[in-house]
Amino acid sequence: MLEIKNLKSRIGDSEILRGLSLSVNAGEVHAIMGPNGSGKSTLAQVVAGHEDYEVTGGSVTFKGQDLLELEPEERARNGIFLGFQYPVEIPGVNNAYLLKAALNAKRKHHGLDEIDAFEFLKLAKEKMATLGMDPKFLNRGVNEGFSGGEKKRNEILQMAMLEPELAILDETDSGLDIDALKAVAQGVNSLRGPERAIILVTHYQRLLDYIEPDFVHVLSQGQIIKSGDKTLAHELEEKGYDWVREAATG
Amino acid sequence: MTRQSQEELREIVGRLPTTRDEDWKYTDLSRARDITSRWLDAGAETVAADIDEEIERISGSIDATWFVIANGELRLPDAASGISAERLDDVPAAASALAELNSALLVDGLRVRIDGAPDKPVGLLFIDGAADAATSQARVEIEFAAGASGEVVEYHASQGAQDHYSNTIVAITVGDNANAAHLRIQSRDLRHVQTTHTTVNTGRDARFRSAGFDLGGGLVRNDLVIGISSPGAEISFDGLYLAGEGQHIDNHTRVDHRVGPATSRQEYRGILNGRCRCVWNGKAIVHTGADGTDADQANHNLLLSERAEIDAKPELEIYTDDVKCSHGTTVGQLDETSLFYLRTRGLDRQHAKQVLTHAFAAGLVSRVPVESARNIVSELVEARLRDIIHSDEDFS
Repeated sequence: MLEIKNLKSRIGDSEILRGLSLSVNAGEVHAIMGPNGSGKSTLAQVVAGHEDYEVTGGSVTFKGQDLLELEPEERARNGIFLGFQYPVEIPGVNNAYLLKAALNAKRKHHGLDEIDAFEFLKLAKEKMATLGMDPKFLNRGVNEGFSGGEKKRNEILQMAMLEPELAILDETDSGLDIDALKAVAQGVNSLRGPERAIILVTHYQRLLDYIEPDFVHVLSQGQIIKSGDKTLAHELEEKGYDWVREAATG
Repeated sequence: MTRQSQEELREIVGRLPTTRDEDWKYTDLSRARDITSRWLDAGAETVAADIDEEIERISGSIDATWFVIANGELRLPDAASGISAERLDDVPAAASALAELNSALLVDGLRVRIDGAPDKPVGLLFIDGAADAATSQARVEIEFAAGASGEVVEYHASQGAQDHYSNTIVAITVGDNANAAHLRIQSRDLRHVQTTHTTVNTGRDARFRSAGFDLGGGLVRNDLVIGISSPGAEISFDGLYLAGEGQHIDNHTRVDHRVGPATSRQEYRGILNGRCRCVWNGKAIVHTGADGTDADQANHNLLLSERAEIDAKPELEIYTDDVKCSHGTTVGQLDETSLFYLRTRGLDRQHAKQVLTHAFAAGLVSRVPVESARNIVSELVEARLRDIIHSDEDFS
């Protein structure tokens, strides 16, 4: 589904990704772990299409199509979803409006009619219930005055509504208490399926207790230096990132 | 039709403010002088355009007791309870050349008094439309009686596209314990030049809430002067100006806190696109002895084009100690992070920009003090935003 080959990217003068390769197939859950500054968030932003990151080498294809040629909105409509580490507050745009606009942009792309208002509301309330969100959030400004946990739940709500084929969740676990973490994990798990892939970008192993990955990769200095199954996450938790780095260089 | 000779009128026109006056530094009234001179040359006759349909349309859009001032001529509505009205015979001595021009050329003045709590807002429709370049005056005095609770909607409109200069004076008094809501919608033609001068004076424990929406006009200058001379006043006013290619919109506000305690709060917002210029000058003066004053002013601007220009100036003058005053002014572009966020949700760049631009105005629209007019204001703002966004290639 997603093929990243020897990807190099920089922002301004600093090179962040230095030849990263990753292959993700439908039905798989990948966790990308690594210390701060290793390039985890950059990878997520580049795949989503952030213009500040310049791709200087390598390739990214999604469902066989060159992803780097597409605008962020085209990537989204093609089935890529980025859950932000720091979701943006947009006062004056209500949540319902954004959810509906996002859903309709995707439907239009696939040649479908706009969603009926009643159907939309029913769907949104259903998804909110499973995430433990008050339906009142629909009428609030996007993330406006939301707590950290509420913002992350809201990201998962958007994901649940859009049903992407590839979801990249950037540090979705950071700043969450245990209840919020469980709710978010449940939202992610309910989306798991043979037709979908999920990439979890995380600093800590904690999230992986609730969302079990098929593969764990360790990112350091813009490259994947070790890959393994979920046991690798536990090893990292015990031994720290230096252990892999030493193993990789030594 | 005029009370003074052509020479006297031309002399007044010659004394209208120029950019050499500090208060008029950014706003050049040459076009107003030019239109008025041409109108005087043509005999100061105004051939009204076919205006009735537009009057019907606008007055039908907001349920109010409508007083219509068409090309300066007053049309009174049927009687409504709580609202009494009369033509103005006595006009106070003019304090400026603009006021002199108003007195000299005024055809019909209006005095409206609001008692108790009328069912509907008082509507004032100022509409101009003439076959040729013309000048018109309007003067309205509005009194909210002590304890009254009422709403006033001013709607400034044009019929057709023509060089026209309108000069309007509105004087509002809010009696003791009265609760006044005031809305000004300005949706003039882009060839229209207007000056408005609004004074508000509040009584003891009076409440005045206002909002002005400048959605049109080629050259617009609004002065809003509020005087607090009795304690307990609670004053709050907003302004939204949307300017596209070729427009110039200037809002000058002044609040005189002469006694305390009292609060005044203002928030002006502007969205500018294309080659245009806007001015916001907010002055608050806390006079000696006005203890317990709480004054806050804010002005935020969104510049969507590099050719758009804003002159934003807060001015605070404080002559007493026991006060709380604050001000904030911002000028910026659309937030790139928010744009990217919306695009990752599938909205294209143009749509994302539109959404964020509307959001910038949304807060003021949601606070429109006259509830029955909120929907129409919202529609007018949306429509005007679409126009100014699409009028310029910078916005792509």
